[in-house]
Amino acid sequence: MKNILQNFLYLLLFVVLFVFVSSGLSYATSVNVSADVQNLCGNGTVNSGEQCDGSALGGGSCTGQGYAGGTLSCNSNCTFNTSACTSGGGGGGGGGGGGYVAPATGVILSGRAYPKSTITVLKDAQIAATTVADANANFSMSVTGISSGNYIFSVYSEDSKGIRSSLLTFPVSVSSGATTNIGGIFIAPTIAVDKSEVKRGDNIAIFGQSAPSGEITIAVSSGEEFFGKTAADPNGAYLYNFDTTQLDMGQHFTKSKAAKEGAISSFSKAISFLVGTKNIVAAPPAKCPAKADINSDCKVNLVDFSIAAYWYKRTISAEFAVKEKEWLNGDGKVDLVDFSIMAFYWTG
Amino acid sequence: MNSKSKIKNYFIPVLAIFTLLPLLTFAAELRVEIKNREISVGEQFKVDVVLNAKGEELNAIEGSILFPDNLISLKEIRDGNSIINFWIERPKITNERKIDFSGIIPGGYKEANGFLFSAIFVAKSEGQGIIEFRNFRALKNDGLGTSASLAASSFQFLVSKQVPVSQIPTSEIKDSDPPEKFGSEIASDPTLFDGKWFLVFATQDKGSGIDHYEVRENFWGGFVIAKSPYILQNQNVDKKIYVKATDKAGNERIEAFYPVHYRPWYQNYRIIAILMIVAVIVGVILKKFNGKNR
Repeated sequence: MKNILQNFLYLLLFVVLFVFVSSGLSYATSVNVSADVQNLCGNGTVNSGEQCDGSALGGGSCTGQGYAGGTLSCNSNCTFNTSACTSGGGGGGGGGGGGYVAPATGVILSGRAYPKSTITVLKDAQIAATTVADANANFSMSVTGISSGNYIFSVYSEDSKGIRSSLLTFPVSVSSGATTNIGGIFIAPTIAVDKSEVKRGDNIAIFGQSAPSGEITIAVSSGEEFFGKTAADPNGAYLYNFDTTQLDMGQHFTKSKAAKEGAISSFSKAISFLVGTKNIVAAPPAKCPAKADINSDCKVNLVDFSIAAYWYKRTISAEFAVKEKEWLNGDGKVDLVDFSIMAFYWTG
Repeated sequence: MNSKSKIKNYFIPVLAIFTLLPLLTFAAELRVEIKNREISVGEQFKVDVVLNAKGEELNAIEGSILFPDNLISLKEIRDGNSIINFWIERPKITNERKIDFSGIIPGGYKEANGFLFSAIFVAKSEGQGIIEFRNFRALKNDGLGTSASLAASSFQFLVSKQVPVSQIPTSEIKDSDPPEKFGSEIASDPTLFDGKWFLVFATQDKGSGIDHYEVRENFWGGFVIAKSPYILQNQNVDKKIYVKATDKAGNERIEAFYPVHYRPWYQNYRIIAILMIVAVIVGVILKKFNGKNR
């Protein structure tokens, strides 16, 4: 009896020491836990909510993403990067037989953005995938693991200066066991101006980024609308000097769109400038959303929505009133108008 | 009929048509769709609420639907497959005869057949009734929340014992898919819940719609019914959190999230200390055993 107990205690000691030593080793190698980190992206292991992490692809492949081949890699936010996947086609022949593999239900989105820009796809307003466009601004990415039904996909990009484009939205009906292709996406150019106020008669520089060598149409709205054209350089950058002689004093808006090889983008978001009596240099274009970013994390997403939704139809606190004034419409209450502003600046 | 009354008789309708024509042609439209206008007593019928944006990019909508509660009663609301990505106020009955709703579509919607939700009614007594919209508005996706022109059409129906019962069942939900995969975020904000950590989550179900969410804050605990934003019980935010979404057909999806200060068990000081103590105690006992045996 004593021997049995002794053997049991030895076994227990062995187990405890083994667990302790292995945990000690693990702990020693991964002691840096940042208080700001919201998830485990970057730890080299595919955790829940991640598609991949560094070189760990979690068994993912281009074919698994609905492509014919190529090399799948991982974006810094732990989503698949399918930019090096190929859509197949081409020659080859022969071969035969083999069993039937049911195709995955998914969506492939492809089109043009800006050279080497990051493109983000939102599925029903939540980030589903990101990728990087090639040097010609072309991109393609897939979203799989979805059910059949109606979805709203949105796409936006960030140019070389980190300025976000407007959201381009597509309602898509997805069928079970089929891959839906959404091609020909042409993300609107980004836009900025060099002066927040321009002396009437002076030029104002309107610039941004689009597809390489695209034809850019600039629209300036006043009582009437003025249009000008310029060409983007091989990096997609464009610049248009607009003569303000033809404009009345006061606030005006400008926006741009791009055309290339028969495809035309939608208009960019409109930005304002003042025609007055002096020139004032514009602040550098903001990388963070101008409105609706209630928790100031440079994103407008479910967190901001939840904070605002809490105050919907309630008397807002003095503390929140400050944020409401800064980030929403500043009328001292949270209603549909505030949510509309949020939906416009949404980043996912 | 004298000429004055002739003018009056023709002029007013013509003027009304020309006045209303732009609204009828260009305004976005909110409408209800139903298979039959004539319903048998005791029959269930489904009313779809649909938005026709008519090319105008709209990103927020709200309104109420009024129905005659003496003729029909609301059985269920389904919002699976809705174009609304986030409900500010999920469609719900606010009194015996009114359904309120409001929600947003980030990026906007400009198509013709935007399904918002369905209401399943049961006809309870004979008579003629009307389902109509009240206090409705839609806002443009322009960053300013500008109101868009929005017209709403009401729907007239007849409940009668003479009408044969429809053969199309409305209450069946054929949904075997779980809710969509979803993400979650843990956040804190000084203006909300006294700065406590809270969890936000949302997903969609393309079949029957989301029924409810549940949250479990550690491996051993049980799930509790939760709504987003959910104040975390564990304000140390160091344990894995599970969120379960269940659709109206009972399909479930569970997602796990790692909070701000999450550490796996082998990085937990308390567990390491306990292991050390156990090791020491076992070692001492073994030493005593060995001493006695000698």
